[in-house]
Amino acid sequence: MIYDTLINLIVVLLLTIGVFFMLSGTIGFARFPDFYSRMHATGKCDTLGEGLMLVALIIYEVAYTGVCEGPLKNALLVGVKMLFLIMFILLANPTSTHAIAKAAYDVGLEPWRKPDETIAWLDTGRGEGDDEDGGETS
Amino acid sequence: MTGAELFGIIDMQNVFLVMAVLIVMASLVSLYRGIEGPGIFNRIVAVNVIGTKTIVLLVLIGFIYGRPDFFDIALVYAILNFIMTIAATRY
Repeated sequence: MIYDTLINLIVVLLLTIGVFFMLSGTIGFARFPDFYSRMHATGKCDTLGEGLMLVALIIYEVAYTGVCEGPLKNALLVGVKMLFLIMFILLANPTSTHAIAKAAYDVGLEPWRKPDETIAWLDTGRGEGDDEDGGETS
Repeated sequence: MTGAELFGIIDMQNVFLVMAVLIVMASLVSLYRGIEGPGIFNRIVAVNVIGTKTIVLLVLIGFIYGRPDFFDIALVYAILNFIMTIAATRY
């Protein structure tokens, strides 16, 4: 019984951390001003969140054999299948992120299509820099 | 399911259901960026992100309903998502 509780606690903890990473990556994807910063937010958080959630589900599947009923009652087959899924995600998701960023760079954009927001964001930084310059001159 | 999977009071199927609902909400936020986002690349990234979330959602649905068919669908969806992204960036 304490074994079941420990397994369930580990599974719930990994699932919660994975969902937290996915939600934070999505919030960064919706809120960041630039295209490359959005890529920076999504490219890592989705891979890590998905990996953590699938690891949690593999632990749950292997710990309780017989979750999946039907002709495929072998739980180890499902675990190996999801391990293949994790390995493929770890290979493919950074590759696709790199391909998108490389294509956007080859099209030719320092910031993509949003110079107004980026320049306004840089202007606030320059305002703070002017204060630092004033401090240097004084 | 078999084994009852009770963590204290909470049923594990309900935990999976809550995680699936949170992933659907994150996917809706990504869909806003896919519709509203300027340029073609934001939309490609939005499709990639929604596809990545859909893989986990398919696996969670397979765990909620206890059907192992959804894992094959998740594998095929991952491969299709990767090929579609590469093809969209190589046009």
